Amino acid sequence: MSELRQIAFYGKGGIGKSTTSQNTLAAMCHYYGQKILIVGCDPKADSTRLILHEKAQNTIMQLASEAGSVEDLELEDVCKAGAGEFNPDDTEFSDGYIMCTESGGPEPGVGCAGRGVITAINFLEEEGAYDDELDFVSYDVLGDVVCGGFAMPIREGKAQEIYIVMSGEMMAMYAANNISKGILKYANTGGVRLAGLICNARMTDREYDLAKNLATQIGTQMIHFVPRSNHVQRAELRRMTVVEFSPKSEQALEYKELARKIIANDLKVIPTPLEMDDLENLLMEFGLEEEVEEDAIGKRAEEA
Amino acid sequence: MFICGYHFPASEGNDVSFDKVIEKVETSVGDTAGKTVSLTGETAKGEVVVELEVPAGTFAHKAFVDYFNTADIEGDTKMVYFTNKYQISEISKVADGDVTKDLCRKLDDMNLYRVKVA
Repeated sequence: MSELRQIAFYGKGGIGKSTTSQNTLAAMCHYYGQKILIVGCDPKADSTRLILHEKAQNTIMQLASEAGSVEDLELEDVCKAGAGEFNPDDTEFSDGYIMCTESGGPEPGVGCAGRGVITAINFLEEEGAYDDELDFVSYDVLGDVVCGGFAMPIREGKAQEIYIVMSGEMMAMYAANNISKGILKYANTGGVRLAGLICNARMTDREYDLAKNLATQIGTQMIHFVPRSNHVQRAELRRMTVVEFSPKSEQALEYKELARKIIANDLKVIPTPLEMDDLENLLMEFGLEEEVEEDAIGKRAEEA
Repeated sequence: MFICGYHFPASEGNDVSFDKVIEKVETSVGDTAGKTVSLTGETAKGEVVVELEVPAGTFAHKAFVDYFNTADIEGDTKMVYFTNKYQISEISKVADGDVTKDLCRKLDDMNLYRVKVA
């Protein structure tokens, strides 16, 4: 039996982290028989819906609130087996399975969202959710790491290897660089490492070059370029992953290849994040931004 | 890290030289003389917009034959992972120069390519 690997998917809000992570984890289970626990760390609780075929799973914070406190919960209350082929009892495609849990958080505008993440991880550890049979625990974490709560999986070495989902857009790259700074901060105390960038492509010009160069400069690899495909949206409308919806489609094969790489990946580094000027220079070098004269700052297109 | 589908161990760092990749591909594929490599490029809607033949004797030719032989994809014609087509193009620009200049320009686009080797 292999050693449990704790991985995490980070990235800018709206970049497609949950979609990418669920499709990739589904491929790891479907094609390679991996046994996986997903810990959703987003108050939206959308990190497991495609695996469960549900709108949104009841979260640990929500159930704790109903029960009185988190101490009143049992593991079975918060941890659900995936639907269909991801259920442990279904061995049609592989012996792999996916278990799902969501940390949840407070109502919008109230309280600390990171608190749910901390509570959930502590609860899962205490209740023995990370059992010996698992190959992977995967954390799907909201947005940036500005809030310490969302940095929880990378603090104290909870998640050992981080995959950053990004694209060739400036803010996605900015967020990727920022997350690298968070990893760097905790790398020596917690042992967390950056394992690669996943380019969830927007299909902008020279996106591969841009993503690859950012990866190289921050000391990691661009592990896979995931093209845009309508299959993803079609599958999502059915609350399914592409792997389950259309396992022989090109998009499913792209996730299969990404899954193969993650399973075999051994390049885990302490990142070397860029300064903001260097990041902007990178964008200019690859033609996403034209160099702007100092006196053009703040001027409209027709004025500049 | 992973280039052209091959795993290069972490000890080799995150900037593996093209020479090492070329060596790996050539060792794997063997003799490619007499083989014809055809590519078709299609839009996201499946409309074929490009048909190409890869010049023999080039790295791109060897890499596509190798991909065709090793990719775990069914069929006489195999889709090419976007990552792989960009990586083949990147290396070919350096290794093959002007011979594959037009080919690489096409490979750098957003279309899905399929490869057939005869």
